[in-house]
Amino acid sequence: MILGAFEFPPIDELFRWKDVLLDDTPVAINKTAILMLVSATIVVVLFVGGSRRRRLIPGRLQNLLEVTYEFIDRGIARDVIGPEGARYTPFLGSLFLFILFTNWWSVMPFIQFPPTSRFGVPLYLALQTWVIYWFVGFRHHGIRYLTGHIFPAGVPKPLYLLVTPIELVQLLIVRPFSLAVRLLANMMAGHILLAALALLTAYALQNAPVIALGPFLLNIGVMAFEILVGFLQAYIFTLLTAVYIGDSLHPAH
Amino acid sequence: MTLAVLFAEAHGDVQAKNPILPETKELIWGGIAFLIVFSLLAWKAWPAIRQALADREARIRADLERAEQAKAEAEGVLADYQRQLAEARNEAGRIIEEARQAADQVRRDLIARAEAEAAEMRRRAAEDIRLASERAMADLQSRVAELSIELAEKIVERSLDRETQMALIENYINQVGSASS
Repeated sequence: MILGAFEFPPIDELFRWKDVLLDDTPVAINKTAILMLVSATIVVVLFVGGSRRRRLIPGRLQNLLEVTYEFIDRGIARDVIGPEGARYTPFLGSLFLFILFTNWWSVMPFIQFPPTSRFGVPLYLALQTWVIYWFVGFRHHGIRYLTGHIFPAGVPKPLYLLVTPIELVQLLIVRPFSLAVRLLANMMAGHILLAALALLTAYALQNAPVIALGPFLLNIGVMAFEILVGFLQAYIFTLLTAVYIGDSLHPAH
Repeated sequence: MTLAVLFAEAHGDVQAKNPILPETKELIWGGIAFLIVFSLLAWKAWPAIRQALADREARIRADLERAEQAKAEAEGVLADYQRQLAEARNEAGRIIEEARQAADQVRRDLIARAEAEAAEMRRRAAEDIRLASERAMADLQSRVAELSIELAEKIVERSLDRETQMALIENYINQVGSASS
């Protein structure tokens, strides 16, 4: 067929970038690192700069910042954790914004690469959540945080054989792993899909321009979808982090 | 040029590793970037935004309370005015009533005085008329007497002396006068 000669590039070409500074050291800087630093700068400039001049009647930027704050504070922190959740609003808000702005590189023209599709980034964030919910749990309930989870009350003793390992694995591994993998897989899949459609469009333009419109329009549609996915994944990651912190504060078991 | 290098895709020089496995440098830079965001936002942005929201809430609450207070005050003032207005209306009614009564009194006095004057005038007129008629009657009597004498003189041609004639006529007129009155 016409597309018979189409070859998808090796997957590494979509995700792995040359070091441009401090090559081959543990802190080598590549495209992923640069994009994350740019994201951080954008978020800081937007939020620190935008909140500097407070006015009683907010302008557009101040309004946006306040809506974001309320979204995190009321919609996530206090809604999920409870009244004491307000203490975690700064952390949850920063988490949400950082993930959101790194996710959205996936649809930024000429960049088209979400740093969150590199496992290191979601893994760091998930480990951070993991450390925080363990810390909060132990600080508020001591060892009973752990024992309450792995020996839930009201369960017949013999069932502990089954329940205890499950709960332990869940607390130790499943929660952070699922957090990290969910974000990674979503962003990676989106990136591959967008790259495939773009390459297909380019290939079709060279070889059979008539059908290029199909993958092109599909690419636009998927980009719009990716904007939504980027938001949704940032929201889910933040929400689950809040759920785990809330569970550490008031263990249900 | 640098941009081209920056975003150049890594070809052969990066060893073929599974793209899903985490890379230490990306984990570290992810942590650094996140901590930059968290520390600066927690230090500068979140407290400022929270403060702005709290300020606005406090301001709106104060405004509402002030508006409520102003409304209560206005209602008090309105009630005061209405009370004063009612008092003024009562006062006006009282004054009008008094004036009406005074006018009535004046009218009655005037009528009474006018009636009295009229009665007096009527009485005086009647008196005048009576006097005039008496005078006329007396004149008439004397005139008739004279005429009668003249007439009698002409008839009897001095047959009687004047004294006797006068007495006769006087007597006659008196009879006539008492018969006619």
